Amino acid sequence: MATIVGALGIPHNPFTALAIHRGDASGDDSKRLYAELTEQLEGMRADTIVVFTTDHYNLFFELCVPIFCIGVAESTAGPSDYPMLPRLEATVDGELGTEIQESLVAEDFDVARSQEFEVDHTILAPLGVIDPQMEHAIVPFWLSTSMRPLPSARRCHSLGNALRRAIEASPLERRVVVAASGAFSFEVGGPRMSEESHVGVPAPDWGIRVTELLAAGDVASLVAETTSDQLAAAGNASGEILNWIAMLGAFDPTPATFIEAQRAEGHAYAAWQLQ
Amino acid sequence: MSVYAVNKVCRQAVADPAFADALRLDPDAAVRAATPPLSDRERELVLAGDVGALARMGANFFLLHQLGRLELCGLTLQRYAERIRAEYASERAQWASERAATEG
Repeated sequence: MATIVGALGIPHNPFTALAIHRGDASGDDSKRLYAELTEQLEGMRADTIVVFTTDHYNLFFELCVPIFCIGVAESTAGPSDYPMLPRLEATVDGELGTEIQESLVAEDFDVARSQEFEVDHTILAPLGVIDPQMEHAIVPFWLSTSMRPLPSARRCHSLGNALRRAIEASPLERRVVVAASGAFSFEVGGPRMSEESHVGVPAPDWGIRVTELLAAGDVASLVAETTSDQLAAAGNASGEILNWIAMLGAFDPTPATFIEAQRAEGHAYAAWQLQ
Repeated sequence: MSVYAVNKVCRQAVADPAFADALRLDPDAAVRAATPPLSDRERELVLAGDVGALARMGANFFLLHQLGRLELCGLTLQRYAERIRAEYASERAQWASERAATEG
């Protein structure tokens, strides 16, 4: 039967991934941190990574914008939005994805299904660094955490709880890692950008607060403090913390095995070994 | 008026390289052909790269910044950022003073 063997929290800045691929010194610190996650992932001996992420207006826009959607296919490719990054193909664990969707819908979570999709930089920029040979199958799980209205922290955490039950009820022989992609405080193109760039970190202290809560395994405080006011102050990409909160719902609260923040980037790299 | 139409143009420039090329070669024709149609005012602002005014009308910042990233409508990421900072100078000053008060 399927087991959750670990969890990962992964930043996804595409320009960082680009710097790493180019061997640019500006990517060195992130390269070191992604390497830590590679080591952690190898220790989990996983088959499949379920990735909670935020579609950056690449997959969902014109036809509809589902609040929750799971990707069920045999394979996917991308990143769809940054052609300057290496083009990668990933196996999708459609069997597990199908079971997860059926279980979640049976539990009254209205999760949509996409069967034909590319994935964007939020999955393939970091995975292309952490797992460049794409040795793990993925199950993309999109939470609508960029376009208003956002689901609540409480709801995302409950979704993670239900994901855990879905995985643990599955008869499939799978070692599963649950991952979350994204930052805690980040602004892209909005008025809270820095003086030097089109991006910014409007609430670096919030990023550190989140990191401390993750390090301590204090998920209840994190859920309580992730209010819509807090998210508004932390930038237009700060809803990505909801991906982390969903991921945290998939296992009993426990201090991170590895965590390190990059304060100036508004995010952290984290891993939980669960076995 | 539908600011959705503006957002869609920005989004399509990322999703459809042929549309991005069309925007580069003949921006006026490309924007006029967009569906749903942009209002005259929206079209003028897009063609002028006036992202500050478009943002004030409710266009999505993330999508607008793609015009800068793709260097369309006379924008670069730097020019995009300068225009947003200029448009939101008073809010930015307010946030800075709030931060200073918190830190003080």
